[in-house]
Amino acid sequence: MILKQFNSLNMKVHVYAALKEYFTPEFELAEPIRNTDELKVCLLAINATAGEILKTCRFAVEDGFIDNDFKLKEHDTVIIVPPSSGG
Amino acid sequence: MTLSLSSLPAAEADPPESASPSGAGTSAEPKDQSDQSAAFPYISAESLDLVELLRNAHHPGAGAVVLFSGEVRDNNRGRDVACLEYESYGPLASKMIRDILQEAKEKWNLQIVLAQHRIGKVAIGDTAVVVITASAHRSEAYAANRHIIDRIKHEAPIWKCEYYTDGTHEWGNNCNCHSITGDNAKHIYETAPGPSATSSGYPGPSAPPNQSY
Repeated sequence: MILKQFNSLNMKVHVYAALKEYFTPEFELAEPIRNTDELKVCLLAINATAGEILKTCRFAVEDGFIDNDFKLKEHDTVIIVPPSSGG
Repeated sequence: MTLSLSSLPAAEADPPESASPSGAGTSAEPKDQSDQSAAFPYISAESLDLVELLRNAHHPGAGAVVLFSGEVRDNNRGRDVACLEYESYGPLASKMIRDILQEAKEKWNLQIVLAQHRIGKVAIGDTAVVVITASAHRSEAYAANRHIIDRIKHEAPIWKCEYYTDGTHEWGNNCNCHSITGDNAKHIYETAPGPSATSSGYPGPSAPPNQSY
């Protein structure tokens, strides 16, 4: 599911903060992912223990949050955003 | 730390926008507030220079300047903290802070609004986040400042990792509003929204609604 060779056509996923305890900070997905629900399924297949934290996360592409209606493209870079803890 | 600078009462009585600045530390010309990022990036890996920020926060139409500095303390929830480390998703965090500042500027008629947040390791006592608001009267400057820091803490994709003196570390203190609102995008702020009357009788602007990003 995760390619070791980076490919410009693959979907890229970046995770931050506590999510790095569940996933590598940046990885790629070879299989087509059409929306955030499918991405969550894929992420849980990688690490089933991430279910609780993923429930609290939002998803972003470039500089905007997306919801499940957003149609992901195979070369998108998806940012998984856990709850903020700045300040 | 919250530092508020208020001019003398005479100067707070609605000076004209075109009034010439006077006094040490007053900027010669009002700054273009469309985007601070050229001079002060919203997200900074460098130490935040409060003096320089404050030097740029004076405006002839502002009788009050409020500076909030969020600083790293040496303890949290009974544990001794050695330092904090912040990381962010920069493009989105910068855009959100810019939008929060712009919105606050319009709602509270601020003359100057500035904010910066650190990333990387921040030592005890150092500033992790700073918000400066300048307005004609103190009520708007205080209210806007409090609202801005609340929104940055709750919404901007910035995260802290606490490093403890026992050698362990932990990502934490996350916004937990979703457990109440049922929506990861909806937040509850410490500041109460809505118009407020002040002791001076100034009615105050309508506070922004509890917006979510």
